[in-house]
Amino acid sequence: MYPFWEVPFFTSGLVIALIATFHILPCHLATGAFWFNVYVERKAYKQNRPELLEFIKKFSLLILIFCFVIGSLSGVGIWYAATVASPRGISGLIHNYVWGWATEWVFFIIEIAAIYVYYYTIGKIDPKSHLMLGWLYAWAAWISMVIITGILAFMLSAGKWVETGGFFDGFFNETYWPQLFTRTAFMFGIAGVYAAIVASTIKNKKVKDEIIRTAGLWGVVGMLAGVVFAAWYLYKLPPHAKELWLDESLPYLSHLINIAALAYAIVFVWFVICCIVKPKLAGPVSGVIILLVLFMGIGAGEGFREGIRRPYIIDQYMYGNQIVARDIPAKHIKAEIPKFDKEGFLTHLFFKPDKIDPENSRDLLLAGNVIVHHQCGNCHALDRFGKLRPLPELLENLSPESPEDIEGLLESLGDYPYMPPFAGNDLDRKAASEYLFSIVRR
Amino acid sequence: MDIATYLNTMRDPAGLPFYPIIFQFLLVLTFALHIVMVNLVVGSTFVAIWEIWKKNKYGLRLSKALGRVLTVSLSIAIVLGVAPLLFVQVIYDPFWYTATTMSAFWALMFLVVITLAFYAAYGFYLGNKKADLTSVKTGWAWVSAGFLMCTALIIHMLSMEQLVPEHWKDWIVSPSGIVSYAGGEFHAIELGRLLHFIIPSFAVTGVFLMLYAAYFHGREDYDEEYLDYVGQKGAWLAFWASALAIGAGFWWLGLVPAEFHFARNPFFLAGAILGFITTAFIGASISKPRQRALPAAGLMFLTIFTMSCAREALRMKHMSLSGYSIYNYPVNPDWPSTILFFATFVMGLFVLYFPAIAAYQAGKVKAGEVATIDPAIGKKAVTAMIAWFVIVAGLGIVVSLKNGVLF
Repeated sequence: MYPFWEVPFFTSGLVIALIATFHILPCHLATGAFWFNVYVERKAYKQNRPELLEFIKKFSLLILIFCFVIGSLSGVGIWYAATVASPRGISGLIHNYVWGWATEWVFFIIEIAAIYVYYYTIGKIDPKSHLMLGWLYAWAAWISMVIITGILAFMLSAGKWVETGGFFDGFFNETYWPQLFTRTAFMFGIAGVYAAIVASTIKNKKVKDEIIRTAGLWGVVGMLAGVVFAAWYLYKLPPHAKELWLDESLPYLSHLINIAALAYAIVFVWFVICCIVKPKLAGPVSGVIILLVLFMGIGAGEGFREGIRRPYIIDQYMYGNQIVARDIPAKHIKAEIPKFDKEGFLTHLFFKPDKIDPENSRDLLLAGNVIVHHQCGNCHALDRFGKLRPLPELLENLSPESPEDIEGLLESLGDYPYMPPFAGNDLDRKAASEYLFSIVRR
Repeated sequence: MDIATYLNTMRDPAGLPFYPIIFQFLLVLTFALHIVMVNLVVGSTFVAIWEIWKKNKYGLRLSKALGRVLTVSLSIAIVLGVAPLLFVQVIYDPFWYTATTMSAFWALMFLVVITLAFYAAYGFYLGNKKADLTSVKTGWAWVSAGFLMCTALIIHMLSMEQLVPEHWKDWIVSPSGIVSYAGGEFHAIELGRLLHFIIPSFAVTGVFLMLYAAYFHGREDYDEEYLDYVGQKGAWLAFWASALAIGAGFWWLGLVPAEFHFARNPFFLAGAILGFITTAFIGASISKPRQRALPAAGLMFLTIFTMSCAREALRMKHMSLSGYSIYNYPVNPDWPSTILFFATFVMGLFVLYFPAIAAYQAGKVKAGEVATIDPAIGKKAVTAMIAWFVIVAGLGIVVSLKNGVLF
């Protein structure tokens, strides 16, 4: 196991969640915005209305400054956060999908070349070529979504990959197409919000109202389509994910999906009232409020996606604590639990105390500390006031009276549908129990 | 468990989807492209500050132009940097993941600091965009330069930590057996190596200025004196920075463990010889920078690429001390995805011709005029993109139907 990174109170998992949630706003804007831009620019040339180009310039600058600073950096940020929080998880994805990411990178290069040339050549090259640059960007950006959705969907439903180990068998899995369509519809919604905010700063009132209304229509159509595709997505969820959600094994999943649905409804109503019916209401203030609502909704949606994946970080293959869960014969991969149960978890660690005397209570606590961090710390805060499923509080609810009580719980951990089994031999379990009991009593 | 066992057992259980040497070549190639852009970012920031400080009218004009260069090249540098970051995680995963988790706080701070550098660069560019030459301000450029130096230091540290696995355990496990999970380690700074990255930034920027002078030569709204000023400034800067970079390179060489005998390494020797040739060539070009701009740029890239190979060879030497070699990494070849990438890569080069030619021609006409691009170029580029999607989506539908996962 790699060294473990602990973020007091907050946990490393929430660091990824926060960056990932934030990243969705600029990245969906980056993928969706240029379809709108090209639509408006085409209209400007076709109807000989150069006044519409003011919007094009403003919107393109927003995309440049927001998407290609915050968007690209938060994208790298997810990668870095995943690296430090779950290195074996991201390594598992990369070693299966490196060529997918490398392919996406080619489209990133096209995107960045296209958008800079597009922005800096407004009015400097012939309209037809300029419009073509817009199309080029729109396709490149959307194709980057076509690719990354395959990797994200693989984490939720690994498909036939578990049998064949094949790139495309894992990529085009059960939830790939519904996710792609849902994200595509949703990107039009996000692009509509930003377009309306940018349009609200245009001085020409007629142009302003026209573009806000158009953005509102794009948003409404995108969000309506999104509902249909989201229903398909939920229908296609793997059985164990549906069980966790619908059987109320984890009640918070229902809360999260309700929050996401509520945010969705609020944004929809905003499009109808503030963009289509009364465009003057779509100013920067209401726009920023709607962005916050979107942020909340996306956060809830991402939390749901993470929750229904439990106990895995990669469906069926790797547990949330980065331990390989099953054999993948096509890739010569062996499940790790039997090895750890037989040979001990601690014996396979490099970053640990050099000598551990099982009879020495301090040594046992030190060993338990290491084991618990690796096996529990990815999904649980280890301090009482931690924000993510704090273990001291959860264990206290079970009122353990001795480390042995906790040992019993660890033995039966795999019986919970959302928990990985404890990995290790009797000594590991004893050490972990001692440490867990100590943090309950602390 | 010893360090060699740790490193080899931490390799990803899935193995590599293709042969390690291919990933290694892509790593070096994309790193070279990335570092050229990073050098341009760093160099152009400092040159912009210097030229404003001198208050020369051509210098002020150049600073304003560099403001735009800075933002664009920073964007490109970040996007280009994704590829080497990806490939290093594929073949050097035990090193990369251990170093970043031990220094997790700094790895994330890197993102914060680069974001601040980026926005400061935009502040410099947009703040001076409409300013006349007498009121150009350097404040944001200083902020950007400061943050850029911080990012350089952090990324240097993350690279260096990977090279000394023998120290890792001592850093995070105390003698009393307490393991640190703080992710705050910051070790292994090597000034010679860091300078060998920073000084070439001025050489690359110098060559860029030579190219700038050559490109805008003949455009009616660019006066010749200004372009001569920029070209000569570039050649002068490139010459002295290249000479100093050679000095920093030998300093770095002196810090490399003697047992590597690295001075005899063919990549190092080739890089050093090319460095001397490039420096001499640029030195001879100071009086005619415009005419020599393209060959100087070619030589400069070749030198950087060769030095990137030498850097990779040095990494392999370091890692071999711990019993690690990428060449015995288990491989499970996945031909379909390998073909997908290389086919897309070739298509990407074809597609990129369109924005490249559009930018080139737009820059060749004076302000207020419109350049006309052959419409067939744009059409072919967009058609290639649509064709890519149709082929991949078609493949996806076939695979989904075959596996029974579509409905």
